[in-house]
Formats: sequence, C-alpha cells, structure tokens
Amino acid sequence: MSRMTALIGKELVDQRRNPMLFMPVVIVALVAIMLPLMVAIIIPRLTDEKLSDSSDIEVAFEMYRDQPALLTLDPEGAIQAFIFQYFLLIFMLVPVTCAMSVAANSIVGEKQSRALEPLLATPITTMELLGAKVLGSLLPSIGMSVACMAFYLLLVLLLAQPGVAWAILGPRSLGVVFLLGPLAALAALQLAVCVSSRVNDARTAQQLGVTVILPIVGLFISQLMGAFKLTGPVILAIAGGLVIVNAALMALAVRLFDRETILTRWK
Amino acid sequence: MISASHLTRRFGTRVALDDLSIELKSGEIFALLGPNGAGKTTTLRLLAGLIAPTSGSVQVNGEAMTAASASKLRARIGFLTEAPGLWDSLTVRENLEIYARLYELAAPRRAVDEALALFDIRDRARDRPSELSKGLRQRVALARSLLHKPRIVLLDEPTAGLDPESAREVRELVLGLRGEGRTVLLCTHNLDEVDRVADRVAVLRTRLIAAGTPQALRERLFAPRILIRLRQEASRFEASLRGTGITDITIDQRQISVALNGTPLSTPDLVRQLVQWGAEIEAVVPEEPPLEDVYVRLLHSEGAGQ
Repeated sequence: MSRMTALIGKELVDQRRNPMLFMPVVIVALVAIMLPLMVAIIIPRLTDEKLSDSSDIEVAFEMYRDQPALLTLDPEGAIQAFIFQYFLLIFMLVPVTCAMSVAANSIVGEKQSRALEPLLATPITTMELLGAKVLGSLLPSIGMSVACMAFYLLLVLLLAQPGVAWAILGPRSLGVVFLLGPLAALAALQLAVCVSSRVNDARTAQQLGVTVILPIVGLFISQLMGAFKLTGPVILAIAGGLVIVNAALMALAVRLFDRETILTRWK
Repeated sequence: MISASHLTRRFGTRVALDDLSIELKSGEIFALLGPNGAGKTTTLRLLAGLIAPTSGSVQVNGEAMTAASASKLRARIGFLTEAPGLWDSLTVRENLEIYARLYELAAPRRAVDEALALFDIRDRARDRPSELSKGLRQRVALARSLLHKPRIVLLDEPTAGLDPESAREVRELVLGLRGEGRTVLLCTHNLDEVDRVADRVAVLRTRLIAAGTPQALRERLFAPRILIRLRQEASRFEASLRGTGITDITIDQRQISVALNGTPLSTPDLVRQLVQWGAEIEAVVPEEPPLEDVYVRLLHSEGAGQ
C-alpha cells in the first residue's frame, strides 16, 4: 500500500507541475456550467421572456412531482430547476475528460521517458502500479467533478430563483456526480490505459479515448428527445451498465498492464 | 549470490536466450558481452525478475526467483536500465525520494541525502533531470538503483553515450561497488571498459559462447607474445630470429612482436640473443591482444561453428 501511495503522490505532483493537462477539462467544465445557465437564466433575461410561459412547464412539473422541494418553487424556479437537472448528464464529461487526459499523459509520458522499466525493477507489483495509475488519475477527476458541481451550485444559488439550488441538490444530482461521474471516469481511464499501451503519443491516446464521451452525449440527446428521464432507477441502470463496462475494461487493462507485456510488447 | 541455470527465454518463435548458466560471486564484476540482439538485456531482465524464463531458473542468495518471490527478491537487486528513465517533472531529490519509498526504506529522506552525497549530486538535488547533463542523469539513475543498498547490481550499458570524463566517473563508481563486496553484472559494448573493470567476462550470442577471466580468454585464443622495443630498425633482426626457429614474428619499425610458444626459447634467451646480435633494447613487455580481438575471434569461431 505504501508503494502505491508513493506512486500516487508522484502522479499528483506531476499533475500539479503540468497544469496545461487540465485545459481540456476546464473547457468542458465551462461548457457544462455555462450551457444550462445560458438556457435557464441568461437568454430569458436577454430576451425578457419567462421560461414559465413555455409549455415545458408541464414537463418540469411532471418530472419533479416526486420531489417535495419543487412544490415550494414558483413556476419560473421550477422550470429553471428542471433545466439545471436536465443538463447534469453533461457534468459526467468533466471527470471523463480529466481521467482520459491525466491517464493518457501519465502512461504515455512514462513510456516516452522510458521510466517504466526502472519502476518495474522495484518491488512494486503490477497490480500496485496499475492501481496507482488508476487512483492517481481518478482522484483528480473526482476532485474536478466535485469542484465543478460546487461552482455550478454556487452560480445557481446566486443567479437562479430562490430555492432552485436546494431543489436540484437531491439524490439525482448526487447520483450523477458521485456515482455516474466516477464510474464513467474509471471507464475512461481504463480505456486510456488500454489505448496508451498501443500508442506513443498522449494526444493520440486522448483522441482515441475521447470515444468514451459519445455514449454520454448520446444519453444527453436521448434525454432531450424525451427517450427517458433521469430518475433514480435510470441512474442506477446506467451505473449498472458502467460497472459491466468497467469490469470488461479492467480485465483488458490488467492483461495489457502485465509486467512482461509492458517490457516486451509496449512500443 | 545470483545464478542462472539453463535459462531460456523465447518470444513467440524467436529464441532470445538459450540455455544460459552463469554464477556470479560476491565482490566481483562480471561483464556480459555480445552483439546487439544477443540476449544481454533479456538476461538482465530475467535476473532482475522483470520477466519470467521460458525454462530454467534464477536463484538469488539461494532463493528461487518465482512469480511469488520476485517482488521480495527485486528489493535485493539494483537495476540500472539502459535509459536513465527519470521523471522530468520531478526534481532529482523527488525522483530519489519516490524510489526510496517504493523500496520501503525506513528513513527515505536520510537514504536520499546519503545517496546525493555519495554520488556528489547534492548541489543538483533541486534541479529537474532535464536540466542535467547526460553524465549527471546517469549518475542520478545509478544513485537511484543503489538507494536500497542492494548486494547485487545489474548495469545495462552504464557508460553508453557518455563523454570520456563522465564514463570514467561511472566506471569508478562501479569499481567502488566491487570494493564494497557487491556483485556487479555489467552489460556493455565498451570492451576497453570491460578490460579495465571486469573480473570475469561472458560472451553471449543468444547462447553462451565463452566465459572466464579476460586473461584466460586471451590465453585460450591467442599464443602469448612478447613485444620488444629497440633503438634501431627492427627489420634487420628478422632473419636471425627466424633462424632460431621462431616462425610467428611481426616487425613494425622499431618493434618486434614474437610468439615463443613452440620454440625452445624463453624470454631471457631471446633478449640475450638480440643483445648478442647488436640490438639495443629499450623495453620488453608481454604483449596482450586487446579484448576486442578476443571478442571478435570468439564471435567468428562461434559463427564458423554454427
């Protein structure tokens, strides 16, 4: 365990000294934060049109009828809360982008600097090494995700109708940020491990790994088109799917992250 | 200390190492020579427990290297890989500290301080490896591989690409390891370096071609020769020398090189004769063929034998 923490510490120092690594994450986070704010607050204010005049108010009430907090909101607040919660899926892109960027850079970087062989010559086991790589990428991803969510809620608290921030701070939001986010990030970074073993350039790894955002965007669009609502059971179902994907990717990552494979087949 | 018994490693259908058996003793520097692709790095990786043999075994202090014991046994081995493989985003001190913790040293900071002092890199401890010269990076890598004070040290081309001064420094550090009673296995293409530091040499081309002390290998392949340096032109004595029954004579301006094996003459007899013939002798030294000649001949004889 101490060997893992040593290596995780190294990963975190590495990330702190390479802040540009987080640039894609910052861009994704800004989009995830600004998009719902634009739709729910900025555009209505600029056009001087109330959201509650829209027919979507019924959809909002429909979605929130099981949430007592909504009943205390005025119609404008209810539809704002509806929009803010609708866009929560986009927040899954934050940990995913972060994990992908950090993991790809970490593994490809070590391949390029040929730092893996001396590392493998220490008593560290390959599972410890893989664990350190995964946690070293997952921790900042979850951190970024939580920070973005906190910032999002702060903006909602400041800019939206009173009570909206509390209304969206329910099990669904927490489920998206603390369950789906880390699971999606774990899938992304395991994909990064698999991809990184086959490429010698972090950007290529990131570009290949970016395919993991497609299902998230697909989910978001499906939700917009009314294919499903992001309810508790839906979140659990998505989480279940991610667990299966993660298990499959972990089996592949463990196979690729074998000491012998790294030394003899990673090019 | 560390031994390999009938070690074979295949990668698919390719045989990288075939039936290698060697035993390294405490306090000796053992050099592994061979052309590119001869299996030198594979041997080091097998001995370091980084990869598993297809067949055969490795023993470290009598304990077999297995999947279960490899992690523990790696803690007893220091492995300097061909590339320094330092983390450029970390300082020299941080690089060493992470490794000290990976080796689970009781006092990692103190171990790093000692290593920085021993390798004379204290003043560069806050620098990033990318700011160091190649020689200094190699020194940091060597410090890293010795942080945990291993009794067995495996060095993969430690002076490759270094300038003569840096190479000499690394060589002195390697000699220092022998002085401390550690076992050193050195993989290199630098035959002059091997001649300077190695106690024993093995020539490898997938399988072991020959092993022994440099002197023993020389004697095995080349007849002992004597080099005599004269004040005058040496060619004038060639006919007289041949008259004594010496057949293997090489003349080069004021130098005579002769092989005395197979003749009734000893070195003092020869010197006496030359003096009688009027030669003014400046020096008489045993002539040793360079290790490169031994190496090339071994490889050629192996090639011819195949």
